[in-house]
Amino acid sequence: MKILVCISNVPDTTSKINFTEGDTKFDTNGVQFVINPNDEFGLTRAMWFKEKQGATVHVATVGGAQTEPTIRKALAIGADEAIRINAEPTDGFFVARQLAEVAKNGGYDLIIAGRESIDYNGGMVPGIIATLLDMNFVNTCVSLEIEGTDAKAVREIDGGNETIATSLPLVIGGQKGLVEESDLRIPNMRGIMMARKKALHVVEATDAPTMTADVKFEKPAAKGPVKLVDAGNIDELISLLHNEAKAI
Amino acid sequence: MANEYIDVETLKFLLNEVHDLEEILNLPEYNDHDSDSIDLLINSVKDFSDKEMYPYFKEMDENPAHFKNGEIVVHPQVSKYMKASGEMGLLAGAFPYKDGGMQLPSTVMNALGYIQEAANNHLPGYIGLTIGAAELITHFGNENLNQTYVPKMLNGTWGGTMCLTEPQAGSSLSDIVTSATPDGDRYKIHGQKIFISGGDYQGAENIVHLLLARIDGAPAGTKGISLFVVPKNRPDGHGQLAPNDVETVTDFEKMGQKGYCTTHLFFGGNGDCHGYLVGELHQGLKYMFLMMNGARIAVGRGAAAICAAAYQASLKYAHERAQGRKLASTGKKDVHQEQTLIVNHPDVRRMLLLQKVVSEGALSLVLLTSKYQDLSKSLQNAEEREKYALLLEILTPIVKTYPSEMGRVAVDNGVQILGGYGFCSDYILQQYLRDIRIFSIYEGTTGIQSQDLLGRKITMENGKALQLLSNEIKTTIKAAMVMDNLQAYAHTLGDKLQLTQDILKSLLGYAQKGDYERFLADATPFMDYFSNILIAWLWLDMAREAQQALLTGSKRHNTTFYESKIHAMQFYFTYELPKTTGLAEIIMNDKALTIGSKQKVFGNEY
Ligand SMILES: Cc1cc2nc3c(=O)[nH]c(=O)nc-3n(C[C@H](O)[C@H](O)[C@H](O)COP(=O)(O)OP(=O)(O)OC[C@H]3O[C@@H](n4cnc5c(N)ncnc54)[C@H](O)[C@@H]3O)c2cc1C
Repeated sequence: MKILVCISNVPDTTSKINFTEGDTKFDTNGVQFVINPNDEFGLTRAMWFKEKQGATVHVATVGGAQTEPTIRKALAIGADEAIRINAEPTDGFFVARQLAEVAKNGGYDLIIAGRESIDYNGGMVPGIIATLLDMNFVNTCVSLEIEGTDAKAVREIDGGNETIATSLPLVIGGQKGLVEESDLRIPNMRGIMMARKKALHVVEATDAPTMTADVKFEKPAAKGPVKLVDAGNIDELISLLHNEAKAI
Repeated sequence: MANEYIDVETLKFLLNEVHDLEEILNLPEYNDHDSDSIDLLINSVKDFSDKEMYPYFKEMDENPAHFKNGEIVVHPQVSKYMKASGEMGLLAGAFPYKDGGMQLPSTVMNALGYIQEAANNHLPGYIGLTIGAAELITHFGNENLNQTYVPKMLNGTWGGTMCLTEPQAGSSLSDIVTSATPDGDRYKIHGQKIFISGGDYQGAENIVHLLLARIDGAPAGTKGISLFVVPKNRPDGHGQLAPNDVETVTDFEKMGQKGYCTTHLFFGGNGDCHGYLVGELHQGLKYMFLMMNGARIAVGRGAAAICAAAYQASLKYAHERAQGRKLASTGKKDVHQEQTLIVNHPDVRRMLLLQKVVSEGALSLVLLTSKYQDLSKSLQNAEEREKYALLLEILTPIVKTYPSEMGRVAVDNGVQILGGYGFCSDYILQQYLRDIRIFSIYEGTTGIQSQDLLGRKITMENGKALQLLSNEIKTTIKAAMVMDNLQAYAHTLGDKLQLTQDILKSLLGYAQKGDYERFLADATPFMDYFSNILIAWLWLDMAREAQQALLTGSKRHNTTFYESKIHAMQFYFTYELPKTTGLAEIIMNDKALTIGSKQKVFGNEY
């Protein structure tokens, strides 16, 4: 089985986010970037397929050279090869179009992307890839098992789960549940050293339109100071939660 | 877990920009690594520390290591951490490929150690001592010792210790009496060792003690001390372990670092404790001292890390706690105004800035000393290696002492920032204060380090190390002189170098007259003085790097980050460096009030 894991390079959730150019651009200076968490769940599941079922795992990202540390991390975790499509990921359609092209050329049986990336939260990439490649598609996927070309996927739906039988070739939009947080792997020193020797192919982007443009970003209002309330003073606590925090 | 206990961005700034890690990675020995892979490693170790270390920090303090039924019970995370560290490569990282290591420079290993110690300083000692013990075996031990012990130590299965201290021999190791009696191709060991970190703990399959002892008939003093491998359980050569007559007498109850056991061990109570000589006869202390630079950097690193973690905790509190109001232009406070966050009070800001300059200055010193260690070991040119070896020698007592001593003062200020809560165990600051206390005691007290600095390092090779260090400082001064906003500070630092010459002239006068007691009597104030100036130098260098980045429009960090470094440098030069004037006055006093026992200086009873 040949697996492609699509990886988005996103800011660490703990980074301070600022915008520039009249709030139309995200200021990346000093920001730490990581593998999109939904993609990391997918990558970890792919490693399971590699170790237990002998799958080959490639990872791909759309981005400039500055995204290479993120895909190197995927190599250090155990992916076999990486592909970087050398273009700015301008919007969801553009990214999906690039990944679909790579996927088509690579002949993958399974394409794992995240349900959404945690930066722009577009949530459209895996669906568009499946459409462009005419493949089966399961979104919000929380469990995936494969036997031969048969796939059994569980997807999260409102208030419960739905189990689906489908077959390869398949695209999934993965999320937590594919593996648990405690299963996520921290690359060790040997893995990091080996990653330097693994292939990281840089390919040029194919022509594709960018269909949207950012007009403005807005941040939520800043948090105020903490108020300490005496343990015995329930009335004040309720009043603060009701009137100020508007939480109750 | 962004900056809960560490500011990784500052660590990377110091490592990559100020101390130019690339220069080390370009050396043939290390060029299987590059700055991207080191960056990834740092992030990995941060994730590892978030997961395996920080969550247990408070717990380990609340459930201290203790002696029960003949063994020492430690927090269950100790064994898990040992094993997980082995898998991460944290034990083997610095070792050469031939010993199963990954040939990482000491600068990188210390950066990784720093992250772990900031997360939970009760744990890294277990691997630190194992690494130190394994290093002694790989450097000086024979093939058999290497094969029997090192692989299991480096994968985290067996622990290691350093057994030096005895009840009558702490600072003065020449008084060691533990004996080693020849017994075929091995020795029988007899004696007791106290304060042995990581000396025994439940769940450890084996512990490998690197022990100093005196072979029967050996010369007195330091020259008669040899080094032995003494395992808790001895391997029988067929994959089995047999008890080696090492008894755990007790665990010391301590005020801090309670999760890191400190043991009293008795070797050979039943006459059946085998020891295996490492290297040559009577060379034990020399071997230990060859490893001492690394161990002392590690202690300074630990203190710098605790200081940094405490800074993060008090910084967070200061941004959450509202109390009092800012003074209005009338000089009064408007009680109808909402209370302000305490971070807005100048006195709180002063304490925070003190924590910042001490913790980041200490980290810079740790990384620079580590860099000198790497260059002294791995440069191609012998003369250059010698230069960095001397620089390493002179900085070693300082890197052990400044973070421990000033780090404690900084953490104490952190406690103060929390007001009453600082004193209460609901908040973590009090634990940092208790934990950091040991750093100025073990691995040679501040008194001993200060005598090493003034009595040996300053004068070694006719003052060559000091001369080399002054040249390094002058290079920074010269570079800062051309930056308008740094010029005045560069001048001030130049003046301090001159003052140092005056002080040394005055002190060396005593040594020339043969009055060594007077020469060294104020070695500790001299350490205070000299380390203060070195940290000023390191801050000027950080400010220079930040200013350079602002001028060239570097995008590695945002403008606020770089500006904060320049501001902190100004704070250091304004609030810390001037203390050297008073210290100079103390050191050059001619009253000799601490010398001589004729007068009853402590009253009638003593
Ligand atoms: C928690 C902990 C862990 C430790 N871990 C280890 C370990 O793993 N292995 C190990 O071998 N040891 C270990 N030690 C021992 C430690 O290194 C010693 O405690 C330390 O070196 C001081 O020795 P001492 O306690 O005998 O104090 P002393 O030597 O009695 O010193 C008492 C005081 O006198 C001063 N003093 C002593 N001699 C002089 C002098 N010549 N000039 C000026 N001042 C002097 C000292 O500076 C100090 O202030 C540990 C100690 C502790 C508390």
